[in-house]
Amino acid sequence: MGAYLLLFGAGFLGSFHCMGMCGGFACAVGRDPRGGGATIARHLLYNTGRLSTYCFMGVLAGMLGQIICTPQGINLSSNSLDLGQRILAIAAGLLMIAMALQFFGLVPNLGRGPLGFGGNTFSASLRSLLGTPGPAAPIAIGVFNGFLPCPLVYAFLAQAASTATAPSGFLVMLAFGLGTFPAMLMMGGVGRLLAPVWRRRGVWLAGSCILLLGLVTLGRGILPLESHIAHSWLTPPA
Amino acid sequence: MNAPAQLDGCSHCLLPLGRRPMQRTVNGEPFAFCCYGCCIAFQVKNGKSEEWDAAWLLIRLGVGAFLSMNIMLISLLLYAGALEGADAWLLPWIHLLLWIFATPALLILGGPFLRDAWVNAREGRLTASALIVVGVGAAYVYSALAVIGGSGGEVYFDTATMVLMLFTIGSYLEAAARARAARDLEPLLAAEREVATIVDGDKEIMRPVREVAAGMLVRIRPGERIPVDGVVIEGQSHSDEAIITGESRHIGKGVGSPVLAGSINIDGPLLVRATDAGTSTRWAKICRSVRDALSRRGPIQRIADIVVGVSVPLVLILGVMTVLYWTSHGILFDRALLIGLAVLVVACPCAVGLAAPLATSLGIGRLARCGCLVRDPAALEALASTRLLAFDKTGTLTLSKPRIVAIESEAGRPDEVLARAAGLERYSEHGLARAIAMAAAARGLEPVKTSEVVALPGRGIRGRTHGQAIAAGNRALMDELGWAMSPALDQRAHSLEAGGHTIVYVGWEGRVEAVLALDDTPLPETRWTIEALRSQGLAIALLTGDAHQAARRFATAVGIGMDEVETGLSPEAKCEALENYRRTHGVVAMVGDGLNDGPVLADADVGIAVGSATDLARETSALVLPPGGVWMLPWVISLARQVRRTILTNLAWAFGYNLVALTLAVLGLLQPVLAAAIMASSSVLLIVNSLRLTRLPDPILPPSPSWPGLTRQSIPTVLSTPSGASTA
Repeated sequence: MGAYLLLFGAGFLGSFHCMGMCGGFACAVGRDPRGGGATIARHLLYNTGRLSTYCFMGVLAGMLGQIICTPQGINLSSNSLDLGQRILAIAAGLLMIAMALQFFGLVPNLGRGPLGFGGNTFSASLRSLLGTPGPAAPIAIGVFNGFLPCPLVYAFLAQAASTATAPSGFLVMLAFGLGTFPAMLMMGGVGRLLAPVWRRRGVWLAGSCILLLGLVTLGRGILPLESHIAHSWLTPPA
Repeated sequence: MNAPAQLDGCSHCLLPLGRRPMQRTVNGEPFAFCCYGCCIAFQVKNGKSEEWDAAWLLIRLGVGAFLSMNIMLISLLLYAGALEGADAWLLPWIHLLLWIFATPALLILGGPFLRDAWVNAREGRLTASALIVVGVGAAYVYSALAVIGGSGGEVYFDTATMVLMLFTIGSYLEAAARARAARDLEPLLAAEREVATIVDGDKEIMRPVREVAAGMLVRIRPGERIPVDGVVIEGQSHSDEAIITGESRHIGKGVGSPVLAGSINIDGPLLVRATDAGTSTRWAKICRSVRDALSRRGPIQRIADIVVGVSVPLVLILGVMTVLYWTSHGILFDRALLIGLAVLVVACPCAVGLAAPLATSLGIGRLARCGCLVRDPAALEALASTRLLAFDKTGTLTLSKPRIVAIESEAGRPDEVLARAAGLERYSEHGLARAIAMAAAARGLEPVKTSEVVALPGRGIRGRTHGQAIAAGNRALMDELGWAMSPALDQRAHSLEAGGHTIVYVGWEGRVEAVLALDDTPLPETRWTIEALRSQGLAIALLTGDAHQAARRFATAVGIGMDEVETGLSPEAKCEALENYRRTHGVVAMVGDGLNDGPVLADADVGIAVGSATDLARETSALVLPPGGVWMLPWVISLARQVRRTILTNLAWAFGYNLVALTLAVLGLLQPVLAAAIMASSSVLLIVNSLRLTRLPDPILPPSPSWPGLTRQSIPTVLSTPSGASTA
């Protein structure tokens, strides 16, 4: 459970980074003219849409990890970390560390690569949905928003893949997604961005969390089983 | 405003609308789309947030995705064994939950497919949508029955919704890519939609181009397309006329310069007085011609259409048979049903229907942007398989500005000869006729009034002046009329002809009174063009009505061998010669000026008119090159071949993929969701393959003394074969 709390925390702190991009959407989802309760419902729907995208991708990533590991002939119910899973953990750990360094501004931006005409059309489609009344629009915005390229999401998807089972991948992304809830809900409620100083601190915190997670994941791949500290944390709850 | 939308093809990708276009209202205006994907993509791109209609579609997509992702998520967790052992009692409830999610998802995502299938089915047609509807419907109904039955059997809501989701995403991606392709065609279809800024006193009003009449003042800002033919009366700029003339250099414009509709005003504001109505410009005609061509279907496309039409019912039968087969071979009914679904999904022939039209319209658009008009996709296909290119000398391989170099007359009155000849020849558009009329004008002679003028194709022209018969033309015409000639004149004519000059005999009152010798200069780039065409594996022939010596001299000058020249041919003889070539070589193209060789061009497999001055609408040739555009031929042919190659690789991929995947599906080796994913990516692959056509290089002018700015090194980029570089 501890691992998922750590993920939740990383999501929470990381979401201060999100405010730059997704915060704009949260603000744009806007208030419901019928009052506070309706506004909260609207934002919950939006965040539910986002969460379900994350969870869906988490399950897929977990399955992908499983597919990569399975041909090695491992028995997933045992606690032994086989070679395939180790390699996966190393790759995911390195990716997360790279993301963290990017948060600190130490490496150039990695997350914007695959934005082709599809990406443009995508953001255009989101724009046209904003401000549409009714309960369906916020869900749709949330779903699309979840697919927008974001280094934070990539880092956690890498983590999800390294768990090498669908349920764990799901839980990783669920914990992460729920972690982003408070900040995003707050954005919707407050309706304005945090002071730049706090956002910078948030980004720094998010980077630290991802760096820590990345190191733990990397350790899972490199260190021998006996000396594995976080062993019970990040292996699937059998 | 409904009619233009129909006329223009799909509002999103500009391709022709199918037999049953989708109609939608976006931002209060009606639009027509060729497919569901284009409809989505168009609304994503252009829909404004205030417009409920546009937003509604996206919401459907988003909510559909939300539901199907949740269904998929839960199902994946189930497959991964999350609910085994102690939690197994939850299973029926989870299935119920899935059903609750799946029902709206199915309605939201499957609605458009269902509507399309229904509309077509009522007219007795089975479309690809029907395959999806039947397959998905079967999976859904089976799963719902399993939930109601409470047997705890497997449910396949995830498969049903995921297949729909993937098809929706696939058609959206396809439409997005097609719109990108359509950007190429946009300026060519824009003529009627273009808006002109009309200056009326001190007011400026925006009006559609079709409302512009001759004499109106139109202001054109830098960067805008010039909407009318006219004359500059204020301002200075450069213009890019490539789309009309194929000329890629920018042309300077100042007060008094003529401007062409369709060209781009590059760097300065212009005030132009229209010389023509907005609808009668060459540009407007080009646009109409391109649109006509796009709405036609080439032979390959027609075959593909037939295959698609036949395959849908066959696939349905195959799907049902697959299910029956597997059930009777001891496989559970639900597994067999899934295999059947995979068969239906994978055999969906969407890609086959897409293979040809996209590549063809890209090719037509590519050519049109350089001023080459294709009037029928079939011509493009025929051009790709052409083995022999026959040229008509007059006006196509020459500068089409012959000059009179000598006048030999019986009575020694060259001015009278010229005035009479000019009076007759000004009724003709033949290159020689114009030369005669111009020579008369240059000497300040008044053409003699002539009536009852009759043009005699391949021979000349005759008429009456002051009641006297008068004729001008070749030797054959004079012999036909039985007009006599003095031996001295005959002698002169022979020696001039032997020198390679083109001879026009002029006579009146039953006698040949004079011979005019004209010099026909070959175009400087002709030699290069001929060699380039040869290096593309084409045989060359020269079919001319000119006399033997003149044609020989000309052929030698441009690098055509003596055995490839046929001289002194009448139009009928040219048709016969073409027929012979067709027997020996296969597909034959004829290049002419489109004026006096109309029947021959129409008779060839591909008629190519160069710089035709006749009305485009009455044009008999299938391909029209801009004036002086013979040098583009190697490029045009390599483009036609590229288009054909693209179509064939597309079809090979589409059919090959369908066959392999179908086999796998029938054998039960392909998951339906995987099948849908491959299906969607297959269409995208075809589009990417077709889009490569937009990256082909522009034609490059061959090196010649008249274009000193261009280097010889630039040629091989036009052609794949290096031998083009060896010419000097």
